[in-house]
Amino acid sequence: MIGATARGSVLSLVAVLAGILILPTALRAVNRLLLDDTVKPSYLPTVETPRPREPFDDEAAAALREAQPEFVVIGDSMAGTRIDPRHLSRTSGRSVAGLFVAGTPVAYWYLEFKNFVAQNHLTRVRGVIFFFRDDQLTVRRQVATPMFDRVARDEEPELDALLAADRLGTFSGVHRAARALYQFDRTRQWLEPRLNHAPAALAGSDGQPEALLSAINAEIFPLEKLRHYEAADLPQADAASLDFYSQLDGSVLPEIVRLAQRSNIRLAFIRVQRRPMADGPPPQSDELTRYLEELKAYLTERGAYYHDDWGDPATPLSTYADGDHIVPAAKVPYTERFLEKHARIFQ
Amino acid sequence: MSFHSLAFLVFFVVVLAAYWSLPMRAQNLLLFAASYVFYGWVHPWFPVLLFATTFIDYWAALGMARAPERRRAWLWLSIVTNFGLLGFYKYFNFFADNVVAAAASVGWSLPEVVVRVALPVGISFYTFQSMSYTIDVYRGHAPARTRFVDMAAFVSFFPHLVAGPIMRATNLLPQFEQERRFSAAAARDATVLMMWGFFKKLVIADNVGVIANKVFALKDPEFFVLWAGVFAFAIQIYADFSAYTDLARGVAKWFGFDLIKNFERPYLATGPADFWRRWNISLSTWFRDYVYIPLGGSREGRGREVGNIMITFLVSGLWHGASWNYLLWGAYHGGLLVVSRLATAVWSPSPATRRWLRPLQVMGMFALTCVGWLIFRETELSQLVRDVQVSPGASTPLGASAGVYLFLLAGLYSVPLWIQDLWVELGGPDLAAAIDEPDAPTSKGRVIAQAGLCGAMMTAILTLRSQTALDFIYFAF
Repeated sequence: MIGATARGSVLSLVAVLAGILILPTALRAVNRLLLDDTVKPSYLPTVETPRPREPFDDEAAAALREAQPEFVVIGDSMAGTRIDPRHLSRTSGRSVAGLFVAGTPVAYWYLEFKNFVAQNHLTRVRGVIFFFRDDQLTVRRQVATPMFDRVARDEEPELDALLAADRLGTFSGVHRAARALYQFDRTRQWLEPRLNHAPAALAGSDGQPEALLSAINAEIFPLEKLRHYEAADLPQADAASLDFYSQLDGSVLPEIVRLAQRSNIRLAFIRVQRRPMADGPPPQSDELTRYLEELKAYLTERGAYYHDDWGDPATPLSTYADGDHIVPAAKVPYTERFLEKHARIFQ
Repeated sequence: MSFHSLAFLVFFVVVLAAYWSLPMRAQNLLLFAASYVFYGWVHPWFPVLLFATTFIDYWAALGMARAPERRRAWLWLSIVTNFGLLGFYKYFNFFADNVVAAAASVGWSLPEVVVRVALPVGISFYTFQSMSYTIDVYRGHAPARTRFVDMAAFVSFFPHLVAGPIMRATNLLPQFEQERRFSAAAARDATVLMMWGFFKKLVIADNVGVIANKVFALKDPEFFVLWAGVFAFAIQIYADFSAYTDLARGVAKWFGFDLIKNFERPYLATGPADFWRRWNISLSTWFRDYVYIPLGGSREGRGREVGNIMITFLVSGLWHGASWNYLLWGAYHGGLLVVSRLATAVWSPSPATRRWLRPLQVMGMFALTCVGWLIFRETELSQLVRDVQVSPGASTPLGASAGVYLFLLAGLYSVPLWIQDLWVELGGPDLAAAIDEPDAPTSKGRVIAQAGLCGAMMTAILTLRSQTALDFIYFAF
């Protein structure tokens, strides 16, 4: 028999647990007051609540349709500092387009490949060349942000399923239910900018927080002001992410390969060399070496071309700017060597 | 397995449900097994080391009890084994690098030896805790235990295994040897404390940690940006570490155990001695009792006292990591304490003076603590030299505005932390102390306030938690 005091204690525990679970539902009411309820569901409905999205970049898609390239090079700033598509077009005699957006993950490249190339009526396209670092093709920490808006269509079911499994893991159902119940993602949309702007309004002399924040990003924290290892953009891969086959299933790489096969597009993958040492290539762990061997086997078995720049004597430390970027003066020579070494891609 | 993961929530609920349905001895066995699962989640071979430490100390203590005339030898076995494991995993590369560098400076060329092993999470914490047992048995402060399961559960107890607080055998082991009863009131207060811990970690520490990481990624930060980053780090490390302690204490309380408070509002300290009475209390008192006092403490003259303080702080700095900056950080705090002791011996203000001096002392000590955090956070010595030389006069207007912005942003996120600390310092109720008195009569008002506070913290966690999840800082030690 439970005494009155014990019963009171149990009730008080239940009250505290109820407070934790029930009070956050007030966010729904606040959101209703402050946000537009007519927004459409996200293209990644299992990882995002409805939010106003930036438009798909129709102009970029139309420009590619007009150019009708035979080859498209996709990657982030690493590819952007190495390959000059115009020069490559001139020297190879093939029409080449480049899609380089700094700081983008492989999921973004997948959407570029799908929506700008494979499903964009590019009738002449024969091949797509991806530039990547280390384990970037199977990195599972995919970040869905408004950055994806410009390359995503209204529905992206394949990516949605992958991200849901990846980001939320075994408990993705719990995350989804909590997001639907509390709508905290929607609250973040209006709360976070306000929270960041309030100190900026106080710190800036002209009371324009947006301008101050842009200036801070552009002039205080630009890439060239970061320490070398930070400027590399991506940290070195840890051992867990270098287990190729355990990472593969949750990554977009199989989807890229499937899409290429369906669209009859040849794939090429070029692993760029990270910032070398003064006296040779960058160190490489046994795990990474094994990972790359498995990646190469996986891709070549599926008909893709694979090349690893590691140990390339033509890109010593002196050709590097910050991090893994190479200096502008080395771009054209790299492009020419690229064509020389990989002429068969363009045949 | 991190406290703020759904995997942990499932683990916690399952273990808890099983735990309260078992008799006491079986409860200990369950905690022993669950703790090894928890630790093995990080890396499957980590529990092997944990078991080795536990077994050797258990065996050494029994040896002391069975052969008191050889107890010194058993103690040495425990110390050498514990420090041997700790030294190998934590300090071998640091030692080898420095030997090679020192040899190179006199023209000798030695081959570089690098051991590529992962540092077992929490090794510094459980090694010290386990060693406290053998030292206490050696000193006669605690009897040697015959039940291995109790001892193993004490060393591996998962709530505080990887980042403390470091519990003494004399405090925690007896709790494993007595009946524990479930208290809903204690569970309620533990839940409030855990929510406060989650809030501090996910909303405060991780958000200001992003600011600190950005600043410390810069090659040449301007003065105001640099010190805003240091301020952010000061908030991050306090919120992060105290959050872990709160979570550990809350989780332990659900199982009927009391872990000690590890923080007492350290940024309101009035001087170095006061700071170390409030910061990482379990580690400071460990060093006091097992290093400083055995060295002679303050009993053998001023000169010896200064030496003992410096040795204790240098060892404490090295405990944090195998890097020169931690040693320097220890020396810095040792130096501050020595100076403050010497100053106190010369001048002792009257109570009236003390009262108006106090806010200035608090601000001064906080500034000195921040200088210490710069040393702690900056692992490159050349960069540290550059940082302390940077002048406010060389700042650009944008650099000054950026510094103010980052400072205000870090300050904004840390407002709840300051409010709670000032509130308690001025006599208000302490969220972290509530679990120590669960049997105190509970008014309806208090329960409603607790439920409201927990709901508000959960709302804040859902909406304001950092998008960048950072590990607990002290996992690295």
